Formats: sequence, C-alpha cells, structure tokens
Amino acid sequence: MRQSLSPVARLARPVIVVAVLVASAPAASAHAPDPSLGGSLFGQNQVLEFRWRSGSVPPPELRTAIRAAADDSNDTRASRAATFAYDAAGASVIGYGTGTCGVNGIGCFTRSAPTSFTMWLREHGRAFDWGTLRWCQMQSTPTNGCYDAETITLDEFGHVEILGHHVNYADERDYTDAVVQTVSRSRPKTGYNMHFYGPCDTATLQMKYDVTTLSSPYSSCLDLVTVVTLGFSDTSLPHGGAVDVTALLRVATNTGYGRLSANPIGARTIRLQRRAIGSTTWTNLVTLPHASPTGTYRATIRLYGTADFRTTFATPTSEGLRGDTSSTVRVTVAPCTANCPQPGIEP
Amino acid sequence: MVESRWLRRLVPVVAVFGSVVAAVSTTTGAPPAAWIPPACAGPPGPGPGGIGAWYRLDPVITDGVRTGQRLTVGRAATDAPASIDLGPESFASGPFGGTVLAGTDDGRSSRLSLVDLAAGCAWAVAEAVDVVRHAAIAPDGRSIVEFRVDRRTRADLGVWARPLDGAPPGRVLGPLESDPRFGPTWLTELSWSDDGRTLVVESCGEVACRFRLVDPTTGDSSLVADPLLGGLVGVAEERIIARGACRGLPCPVVSVDRGGGRPVILADAAGQAVLATDEAGRAVVVHERDVDGRVVSAVRPDGTDARPIPVAVDDRRLVGPAAWAGGAVDHPPGWVVFGPDGRLPVAEGQSAVLRRIPDGRTVTIDEVLR
Repeated sequence: MRQSLSPVARLARPVIVVAVLVASAPAASAHAPDPSLGGSLFGQNQVLEFRWRSGSVPPPELRTAIRAAADDSNDTRASRAATFAYDAAGASVIGYGTGTCGVNGIGCFTRSAPTSFTMWLREHGRAFDWGTLRWCQMQSTPTNGCYDAETITLDEFGHVEILGHHVNYADERDYTDAVVQTVSRSRPKTGYNMHFYGPCDTATLQMKYDVTTLSSPYSSCLDLVTVVTLGFSDTSLPHGGAVDVTALLRVATNTGYGRLSANPIGARTIRLQRRAIGSTTWTNLVTLPHASPTGTYRATIRLYGTADFRTTFATPTSEGLRGDTSSTVRVTVAPCTANCPQPGIEP
Repeated sequence: MVESRWLRRLVPVVAVFGSVVAAVSTTTGAPPAAWIPPACAGPPGPGPGGIGAWYRLDPVITDGVRTGQRLTVGRAATDAPASIDLGPESFASGPFGGTVLAGTDDGRSSRLSLVDLAAGCAWAVAEAVDVVRHAAIAPDGRSIVEFRVDRRTRADLGVWARPLDGAPPGRVLGPLESDPRFGPTWLTELSWSDDGRTLVVESCGEVACRFRLVDPTTGDSSLVADPLLGGLVGVAEERIIARGACRGLPCPVVSVDRGGGRPVILADAAGQAVLATDEAGRAVVVHERDVDGRVVSAVRPDGTDARPIPVAVDDRRLVGPAAWAGGAVDHPPGWVVFGPDGRLPVAEGQSAVLRRIPDGRTVTIDEVLR
C-alpha cells in the first residue's frame, strides 16, 4: 500500500544501524599505495590531449588551474604514467558545470583507457547542503573554505591514470601522502593546495606504469623486497690473484608488485663485505660501482687469503625498497710460495 | 536498428519525448524568455497518468559563477517545452503524475511549486524560512517530503512531511549524525522505493553516501552507512542498489540487502546504471558494462538473471537516475532511455531514444506515438 508520510509517522523512532561491508572493496591499508581502479591502463608515457567541452568551457581562472594541474601530474608522476596536455583538438574533454557527476560533490571523471577521458568540475557558486562551493582561483582574495581547483584537478587526473582514493590513518596524519583523497580539504587545512602527487599516489603509478628509468627512486610508500646476488669469476685463486666480482640488484619477483616485479635496480650502493675464516664479523671491503646493464655492480679485486664474501644493499631511508644481503661465497686463495706481498687485501 | 512504425502499432503507450526534441529549437541561440506559469486552480497534486512528462535542470553560469538554474519542462508530442528560471540554490524532482516539483531559494525563504505540465500552470505549495534543499511528492500524491538545512548555519534540520491540504508540516527524520568517514554532507536526495512503500533518504559526502530507509506507516527507519557505497541507483525488492564510492566512471554497482547480509556486486566496472522494470514487470538494474556504453546488460537486484540488451552503437548513453542525468522523464515500464551524454537532450540536432528490455528495440524520439 502506498501511503504518504502523515504527521503521525514523523516521530523519530530508534534508528537501526546496519553496517555493511562491500566484499569486493579494495584491501588497502593506511600508508599503503593508493588502491587502483578497475579497467585498462593507458600506455606508458602516452600523451592524453584534452580540450574544453563545447558549451561548458571552464572560466579562464579554472582553465589556468587545470593546465597547471596537468603540469603537476606530468612533473610529479615519478613513473611512466600517461601525461596530460591541452590541445584544442584533443580526444578528451574537460567541462565546467553540472555534467553527469551524479551525487559526486566537487567533480568527476570517466576513463576510457587507452583512448580518452572526460572530466567535470562543479561550478563556482553551486549550493550544497553544507554551503556554497567556492574555488580559490575564482576569488581575488581566496577566503577560508575555498577549494583549490589545481589540487582537485590533480586528484581527478590521478583517477584518470588509475588511482583510487588513498586510505588514510584514522587521524589522517598521512593525508599528504596522497593527493587522491576521498574527502577534499578546503583552505587553509593542510594539503588543500597540494600541487604534486604524494608518495602513495606515485607508488601505485609506479606499480602500474613502471618507474621512469631503472635507476629512478622507488616511492617511499612502497615496501618492495629486493634481491642482491654475488658472483665471482673464479672462486679458487692464486695468492694475490685478481678476480671479477659481480653483484646483481633487482626487485623480487612478485605479481603484487605489478610492473616493478623483477626490475633491475641501478645506481644504488652495493657493498662487498668480507669475513675472515673463523670470524663472525663482516667488514666492508669495497663499494661496487654500478655497471652495465642496469642492476649490475662490478669490480675487480685482488685477494691474498681465503675468506667469505657477501654483498649488502642497505635499506634506503628515502625510498620504498627493503635491503638485502646476498648468500655467502667462499673464495679460496692459495698460500704464498715466493715473493709474498704484505698480508692484506688490495682491492 | 531503430524502429518506429512497428512500435507505433503495437505499443501505443510509448508516447514520450516529442517535446524534448521541440526543446532544441527553444534552447539554442539566444535564451528563450522564461516562463512564469500562472496559478493553477483547485487543490494541488499530481494527476493520473503523466507518461511523457519530463524535466531537465541546467545551471546558468555567468563569468564562471552560477547565477541560477534553468528548469526546462515539457510533455512528449504535445506542447513546446517551457523554461523556468530558478535561483542558484534550487532543485527539481519528478515527474509525479504529470507534474514537476521545483524549489528555489532567494536567500530569505525557500518556495516550492508544483508545475502541472498538462494544464500549463503551477501551484505554490510551500514557503519555508529554512532552506529546503530537496523535496519529492509522496506516491499517493497527498504530501511532500522535504529535506531542510538551517539558513544561517547550514545545519541539518532533518526530513519533513508537508501535507498538500495545507496542514502544518511535521518532522519525519532528525538530522543525520556526522561521520568522519563520509565528511560533510554535500547532497541529500529524497526518493521512493520502486513499490512506493519506503522513503529513501540519501545523504552523500563528497563521494560516499549513507542511506536511511523510512517506513512512512510506522516512522521506523534504518541506516545503511558503508563508506564504500556511493550514489543511489534505486531500492527494489528489499535491496539497496548503489554505486561504489567512486569519483567517476567506471564504477561498481552494488546490491545490498537492507536487512543485512552479504552485498552482491552486480557489475564491477560499470558506466551509467538505472533501475527499471523488464517485460515481465520485474525490477532490473540496467547498466552499461563499459564506460563507453557499448555493452548494456540487465540484471535482477539480487544479481541473478543477467542478460545483455542489444544497443545500437551511437553517441547516446543510458540515461541514469535524476541525480546523474539532471532530469527525468516519465516513461512506460519495460523501456529505458538513451540520450546524448546520458541526459535528456536540449541541444539542436540531438535526440533521445527508448530501448526496450530485453530485446533493445529502439524507438526514435521524433516519431512519437500519440
């Protein structure tokens, strides 16, 4: 039976709270890489050219902010993610106004990888339940409560790439680890005018699109296991004999790492360590120079006594790689028989 | 393939959209003069029927700033559409039995009008000191439910019921408690379950939404608060069908049993989605299976009986719920609407079509049945 809401029914009744968990929700934790959206990827370094939507062209202040956000994305993607560029004949369109954002508050997008995307930004002056949307860029003197259009657009560009909303700690102390956020901040809250991808944004971009070069830093939001190996050209040498030492450093093989899995890692510090027979103490012997191909570290050393060797890659403080230590290799050096040099090791 | 004569003979009830096309000529070029509907005589309320009534709401933007909204209304194959100027804080809902409910706020009070599209007039049905953000007509046509916020603080004042007979309004639901998982509430929308027995109060943060389901006969309500849920698609068969909490498309379509239980993912990366009825009168969720809308499917709210709907490859997209499409049309069951960019068209050269569930038979809008 259909029935209107009579005044009788208006009295507040106890509210039954039904907690629901969506089973397919991405399992992301705080300070983890942003979850990724479903769908295809754009090509590595693909240029996505956008134009203004006919009839819904953003005002000049917003056009400037959108272009700046495109530059922000290009400059801080720290990966081979797609880039954005304005082109009057671009296949992708950005509009200003109502669009088809549904109930999304401040803006929205569609992504049709690998061909194009669309984006809408709500208009300045639109009323919402909480008040009226104001873009900082539309104000001669930005007032508290305004939203930074460059930041919001960068968030949208991140979605277009593949990024889902970052999952923050409960107290949001990690809010600036990502610009792609569920709840946007308004002026003057920290992060309201963030004009770069945060490390948890770039972490996912790197897993999806790969690092810029094999020597580029890995996002500090990652925690990738690495593997360092050690090899000698000969493990049985005459006294004072020269031997080539080769170490390889790479990201561990793990499908969860996406494109980063098994990546060789160049331009890092790999130390060769020595342990005398019968000792438990390892001492640094030499830092192996980076060689070719990427991920290879090589040196030639001269040995004067049998010892155990290993290589170490220390956990960096500024990027998301875990340190590793190679297995131990024993190199046997024959005793000296004549014209023996001073004891010791000459690298 | 587009058909028309066939449908003209067999399904004479499909008589929508003619005036949508007519709107083309009135909304291009210089803006047409706004229509100020004369006062309707008699008691306010929706009438019987109303198939073909439609509306579309567009912002009026001047130098990048919203200065108002334009409500375009019409009836298929009958009248030329008309446009009504509303203030920057305004809304429309419906159609309800050939009427559209419009609300506008002038900074001092909110005024609600019920526009009778057939009679070409409107009733002034309410004026409130508080800001009425959204409202809808009850299924029996005898009252309005409205969501209000405080004019000065914008605090949530709850949902109110206003009898159309002039009796004083009363509060149905109190304010929604804040929840940091959702942030401030951006939009509150009122709608009804497909059987008209449950009022659905949808309160959306910037991305994620909460739903309160109200039984108007008892006043009992329940809350579904999952930050992974986004905008409402509809409520049918005791299930809430909603989008995932996405900022855009593609986005999952999720079905949640209102009494609890495991959610069902109806589509994991869908484009537009809308609640409809199939040829047997059963509720189905029609959704684009890709963001380009080239593949469309229908599935029952519980996730069963999924089947494709053939669609022609053109520039039309499935027209979603009013919150997505910025408008709505009253059309017969068993059909869904496709329009440019997923909206009802008002630009010259554009048209919308109806496609039938499940065979996708298509009717052009410019060959409307009478």
